[in-house]
Amino acid sequence: MFAQYVRLDWNTRSVLATLVVLLASIPLIYVLYSSSELALSQWASLWSARLPELLTNTLTLAVLVAVGSFVLGVSSAWLITRRDFVGRRLAVWLMILPLTIPTYVFAHIYTTLTEDDGWLGSIWIGIFGPDNYPPELYNVFGAAFILSLAGFSYVFLLVSDALSRSRVDIEEAAQLHGLSRRQVFWRISLPMLRPAIAAGLALVVLHVVSDFGAVSMLRFQTFTLSIYLQMEGRHNFEAAAGLSLVLVLLSLSFLILERFFRDRQRYYSAAQAQKPKRRKASGLELVMIWLWLGGITLFAFALPLAWMLSWTYEAWVQSLITKEFWGYVQNSLVVSVAAATLATVAALPVALFHARLRNRISQGYLHLASIGFVLPGPVIALGILSFVLSMLPWIYGTMMVLLIAMLIRFLPLAVQALEASVQQLSPSIEEAGRSLGAKPWENLTRVVIPVLRTGLVSAWVLVFIDTLKELPATLLLRPTGFDTLPVRIWIEASEEMLELAAPASLMLMIGTLPVIWFLMRQHDVASR
Amino acid sequence: MKRGLLSLLILSFWVGAATVNAEELVVYSGRSDKFVKPVVKAFTAKTGIKVILHTGSSTALLNKLKLEGERTRADLYISNDAGNLQKGSDLKLFLAMDEKSVADIPADYRAADNSWVGLSARARVLVVNSKDKSVANIKSVFELADPKLKGKLAITHSSNESYIAGTTVYLRARDEKTVKQWLVGMKNNVEGSVYNKHSKIVKAVATGRKSIGLVNHYYIYRHLAKKPNAAIKIVLPDQGKNDIGVAWNVAGAAIVKYSAKQKAAQQFIEFMVSETGQKLFAEVNMEYPTRPGVSAAKNVPPRSSYKVANVPMRDLGKYRDATLDIIESVGMP
Repeated sequence: MFAQYVRLDWNTRSVLATLVVLLASIPLIYVLYSSSELALSQWASLWSARLPELLTNTLTLAVLVAVGSFVLGVSSAWLITRRDFVGRRLAVWLMILPLTIPTYVFAHIYTTLTEDDGWLGSIWIGIFGPDNYPPELYNVFGAAFILSLAGFSYVFLLVSDALSRSRVDIEEAAQLHGLSRRQVFWRISLPMLRPAIAAGLALVVLHVVSDFGAVSMLRFQTFTLSIYLQMEGRHNFEAAAGLSLVLVLLSLSFLILERFFRDRQRYYSAAQAQKPKRRKASGLELVMIWLWLGGITLFAFALPLAWMLSWTYEAWVQSLITKEFWGYVQNSLVVSVAAATLATVAALPVALFHARLRNRISQGYLHLASIGFVLPGPVIALGILSFVLSMLPWIYGTMMVLLIAMLIRFLPLAVQALEASVQQLSPSIEEAGRSLGAKPWENLTRVVIPVLRTGLVSAWVLVFIDTLKELPATLLLRPTGFDTLPVRIWIEASEEMLELAAPASLMLMIGTLPVIWFLMRQHDVASR
Repeated sequence: MKRGLLSLLILSFWVGAATVNAEELVVYSGRSDKFVKPVVKAFTAKTGIKVILHTGSSTALLNKLKLEGERTRADLYISNDAGNLQKGSDLKLFLAMDEKSVADIPADYRAADNSWVGLSARARVLVVNSKDKSVANIKSVFELADPKLKGKLAITHSSNESYIAGTTVYLRARDEKTVKQWLVGMKNNVEGSVYNKHSKIVKAVATGRKSIGLVNHYYIYRHLAKKPNAAIKIVLPDQGKNDIGVAWNVAGAAIVKYSAKQKAAQQFIEFMVSETGQKLFAEVNMEYPTRPGVSAAKNVPPRSSYKVANVPMRDLGKYRDATLDIIESVGMP
């Protein structure tokens, strides 16, 4: 009979879940509606004029970044989980810290550094002579370089997590049967890691496909940039929507791939027999390991940090860090805290709904909630803007509009983070709560939420970080005169005011650090 | 904890709603903050009216105005490009101003119905490496399509507003076929690599990485201000008897039709048109004030010393889409 109560709670939850999913579908409805306005002939001209080039560009970039992230992410994860060496814990941190730097900051910093009189540019000319100019970043390789540095940490996180859970006994068995260490790696370890690698790469590729900041600074025409240019330069929303639709299909295939591999991962990381042992690194190995990890850190974190510090010092000397600057910091924090809270609360019913039902409908809800991942930020912003202007004009111009956009963009992150812990919440736990006399709300706050604590915190942190770095939707939807740090970085970078872009980038990084620390403590990759 | 978060949420809405007050003007500005701020400061000091700058790219902000319609909070729109200003006019987003208030600006530099007014002008010129003999004799922008400049030419990407505006001027002064051939030639010469900023073009020409570039004049002086000995010189193109002259573009301002503070907005326009305002608006960026009698910065070639293309600024809006069509058909990067 208590199950009945629980079912009643469930009805409320399914209503809430439906509402959230409806909200999340607004941009997709907008895209479908706008692209339906496109005549067949317009589709044809779009197809012949733009699509081949855009598809080639986007896919080439995605493949290059996937390769880059694979090399950086898997190698570092392997070294860190399988070797014991001095500074191993520090190394874990160094591999994650690049996540604190947004792609557009990476792009801005590296285009500055590789100019003829930039730090790297002058070193290059010093080595190769004045007739050999440093390579340009305004091409597919430059974009791939930037996005690999900004994205490999996702692969590192997923792979090192899988490695630390992996079945060492199988590897040992293989070794006992006479395989060399190298053979064990290629024939046993790597195949077992395949799901984690694929999931990590899918994540990286999704980020690449929807990236706006870096490609627009490097002027590399991908789908997202082209959509933005159609909208902006030509006021051509229909063409933009048509391109978005193609992009959605492209991203959806990646998303399905990622889900597929994530479901398989469960099978691979079955009951753990023993903790993997880390072999002590020899002296030579220690040097090699640190040369490799140090090299990655140099480009992915140390150089950008040094650049930020040096120009922030410049700004400080010129007393350019004014009251206004702290206003931008405050704005950024307010938006990020509010968006993270909203998204976590909204993700809860969706995740609970799916965990309990696990049927086609709940799966569909999950896919719809992932729209933020597959639509580019500028398109989400435009969809929200049109919706709000026609349906909810009274909230236009307030922060609410911006927050709705952030909620939709980052809901998938929150849902994914919650999913894992929701699985631990069996119906009997809830029924027990109700049977002991807890009312629905009390049951939620005293039973459900404590069980989900880890997931809730991860969800909050992930949304916080991404909102703090968000650029395209904020550019369009911020309230009048309400500038956040990314918006200022954008403005200052386009005016080449390095001494103003640097402190804002530095603050973004510092703002992300405590939450990443918190997240790391929960997962604690280092101690495994 | 929960209450704290709730109050944070409420606070954040309040912050959003409270940014606009009665005695403040909201300006959507597509011009650099640092160039607009001195004018704003002087205006506020004079009139007591505060100004909130909402900065972005000119085109994105015009887009925003269009989408917002009557719900906009903007009172004024400032753009670095006459194309956007005229486009806004065509979309009926701006208020037609009283002719008297803008009469000091020549008619070619404002809208036919005075719905926008040009405030400062920039010239589209060539920047040339002064040590490079191979480009010493280039006198026309159309020579940039010459195959002998393969790998030596630096231009911006084709969604740059100044680039589009310049191309529109050439389209109006010449014809579609000429402009198309010109673009194709330049596309071959840049070999797929274009710059995202004019300042980087000047830098590339100064170091000798490229020989010649097409830029707005002030980028050259900005570079020279930092590095007076840089190996660059300015070439004012197309000055021959039958040539078209230098392409100009203006930055300007308009009053948003749905503004509730049109009177204060009018005051701001009048201030920017006044001699003091003109000097402030143009000089920070070494541009030409559009008001006759107000001189440009000293090191800039005086406007009377060269021929300017005879194309009214409003054409930059009217023929913008035609230009974009050509650029796209060529597949300019």
